[in-house]
Amino acid sequence: MSLRELWSDFVPSLLAAMVTNFEISFVALALGLALGLPLAMMRFYGGRASAGAAATVISLMRAAPTFVVMFFLLNVIPRDANLFGLKLALSGVMTVAVSLVPYSAAYTADAGIEALRQWRRGSPLGALLFLPNITRAFFVIVMSSGAAAAIGVPEGISVILRESALLPTLGDRLVVFAVGIVLFGVPLQLGLALMRYLQRALGRRVVAS
Amino acid sequence: MMNRLLRSMLLSVGLLSGMLAGARAETPDAALDELLKQARTECAPPADRLNRVLCSGRLRAGVREYYPLFGTREGGVNDGYEPDIARVIAKRLGVEVDFMRVNAASRIPLLAEDRIDFTIATMGHNTQRDGQARFIRPHYYQSESALIGPKALPIKTWEDVATRTICVTIGNGSNAELVSHKARLMLFDEAGVLPDRLKDETCTLATQDDSFFAYYFTDPAFAGRFEQKFGFAQVPWGMAVARTGSDKLGRALDLLSQIFHRDGTFLAIARENRIGTAFLERQRAIWQRPDCDTAQGSTNSACVLPALNAALQPTPFAAAVNTFEDWTERRLGLDVTLPMLKTAPAFSLFLNGIANSLILIAGALVATLVFAIAFGFALGSDVRPVRWLARLVTVTLQSSPIVLTLVIAAAFAHALLPYSSAVALAASILALGLSNGSNAGQAVSEAVISLHHEGGEKGMTLFVHALGRSATSIVSFLVNAAKGTPIASFIGAPELLSALTDITSFSSGRVTTYCLLLVFYTLVVMVVVWLCGLLRAWLESREVAA
Repeated sequence: MSLRELWSDFVPSLLAAMVTNFEISFVALALGLALGLPLAMMRFYGGRASAGAAATVISLMRAAPTFVVMFFLLNVIPRDANLFGLKLALSGVMTVAVSLVPYSAAYTADAGIEALRQWRRGSPLGALLFLPNITRAFFVIVMSSGAAAAIGVPEGISVILRESALLPTLGDRLVVFAVGIVLFGVPLQLGLALMRYLQRALGRRVVAS
Repeated sequence: MMNRLLRSMLLSVGLLSGMLAGARAETPDAALDELLKQARTECAPPADRLNRVLCSGRLRAGVREYYPLFGTREGGVNDGYEPDIARVIAKRLGVEVDFMRVNAASRIPLLAEDRIDFTIATMGHNTQRDGQARFIRPHYYQSESALIGPKALPIKTWEDVATRTICVTIGNGSNAELVSHKARLMLFDEAGVLPDRLKDETCTLATQDDSFFAYYFTDPAFAGRFEQKFGFAQVPWGMAVARTGSDKLGRALDLLSQIFHRDGTFLAIARENRIGTAFLERQRAIWQRPDCDTAQGSTNSACVLPALNAALQPTPFAAAVNTFEDWTERRLGLDVTLPMLKTAPAFSLFLNGIANSLILIAGALVATLVFAIAFGFALGSDVRPVRWLARLVTVTLQSSPIVLTLVIAAAFAHALLPYSSAVALAASILALGLSNGSNAGQAVSEAVISLHHEGGEKGMTLFVHALGRSATSIVSFLVNAAKGTPIASFIGAPELLSALTDITSFSSGRVTTYCLLLVFYTLVVMVVVWLCGLLRAWLESREVAA
């Protein structure tokens, strides 16, 4: 594979496909927040029964493997399913996003409970550490969204695999894989750096206050 | 003397003419004429469907209406190879043909309900269907499963297929053969989406009947990009009549099929409809042979093809499983289907899947722990090059999505070793261990640094205490490794997800199967979480003891 082909064809199509990974991650995180935060509130403020129920749901979601949940959703929800007239059938992108919700919601609930604990202790800045934690979860989800390639969603990993399948030598394939790692790695490392900065900044304020 | 000679001559002529008459009766043409002549005179009920067809002057044919090149309907006109054959049959019988639309589900029931006289509707002839309809022999066509892919993709034999993902439709009889050659399957409900998924590159390879793809290959754009890599799982297609009340009609169609093969009628119709003709050319040669071109040719095993034996060997407890399924439906109203317990190949895949999943989980846990210690040691090393190299590898592994790490591990494994289940499992264990172990190792090294700053300890004692301090992170990545094991199916590791996907590709019961799969993995991960809790308590006790 020539450098020209790499830059003119593969890299633009990979970048375009990676947009889907971010779309999946935004949807998964939004749904995870919507589900995880009420669970955190139930776990923290609820009575014995509701807190116990929330704890059980959180631990089940924590244990559910994303890849299996994805295949479960893909195969169990009928194509023509609807609820009260609303179409329930999931597109490929939504199937992957929803399969990441158990992880996202469980992580949000855990981080939310810790934030509520800090708030109760009188440390609002400690509670704000919730934000960098959610940033970390977002990037974990971006990396996990590559599983979508297994069900034919045209995202970043599927573009890398498609390109590598056409190459005859391991050396050529490794070049394609390396480009993939760099393009996935740059936003991840930037995100993690942002998270570390936020954590340090908040930590300094906590100490100062 | 003259009288005796004359008698002998007359006797010889009589015998010769008798033999010639007998030979004529042996041809399918003569047998058909005789059968039709007799049937036309027997119109009073109860009559065979052949009598009814001839007496009413109408032949009801069940045909497909949305199967390009084989059976379509546009502007009220049935078109394609099969309607054209029905027309030729009707013409030979001297009747008019009425077409009735059938699909894969209705083509046999409509025969039994006497709403059609015969069906000619892309129906593969297998031993299971022999009990539901009377198939006409010789078969009028033969399809095979075609593996379709981009022209640039170098695939020639089964060896090139192992570990590749192939898009297939659920329930396709050829899926089991793909599975046996280590291909990974991506399942779709309908064949109609496969060409589009090839075009938009969602699928690199797809398998479906060659008859299905024949239409798409008439499109120059499609034919320019894709080709048939090879064909497999040949299935003869048969016309069929009802099992009762259609003996004579079935016999007439047998004889007609023989004649149409011998005279090249099927071949000419196939050419007109631009479908593959290799099978029909072979059949024409067979039915022109003297031993096959007889009235009894359709029962001669040297001339006709056997039905495809599609039945899978049942397990010894298949009956008990069926009873259980009936009971849950009757008593609990639950539609539980357990295909993994009913046939021997499925049960074997299921057991192997469970065993491989447990091996994979155990291996991933051990590998994660080992790599966590190794990376922790290297990242906290006083030797700068070792520390930098470890940091570079850690950042690279963190930046690679786990699916990509698995694919890279598989690419290396396949470059070094021939593909096998064990190689795929080992590559998966290595990838999961590296990916999670590098992250856990980073946590260990951070604990090493923090203990170093606190002072006091050095060497191995410090490292052991660092393991205790980073116990929460180590446990978290161990759980992550266990949860990540199903992704190994992506590179062909034959774990449970992979096994059950294979089973559902050639049997029913997807809902029950994937529910069981989710329960299995969730329970296993919960057990791992519990075991890791014990490990964390032990590691933390080491730190407290220090």
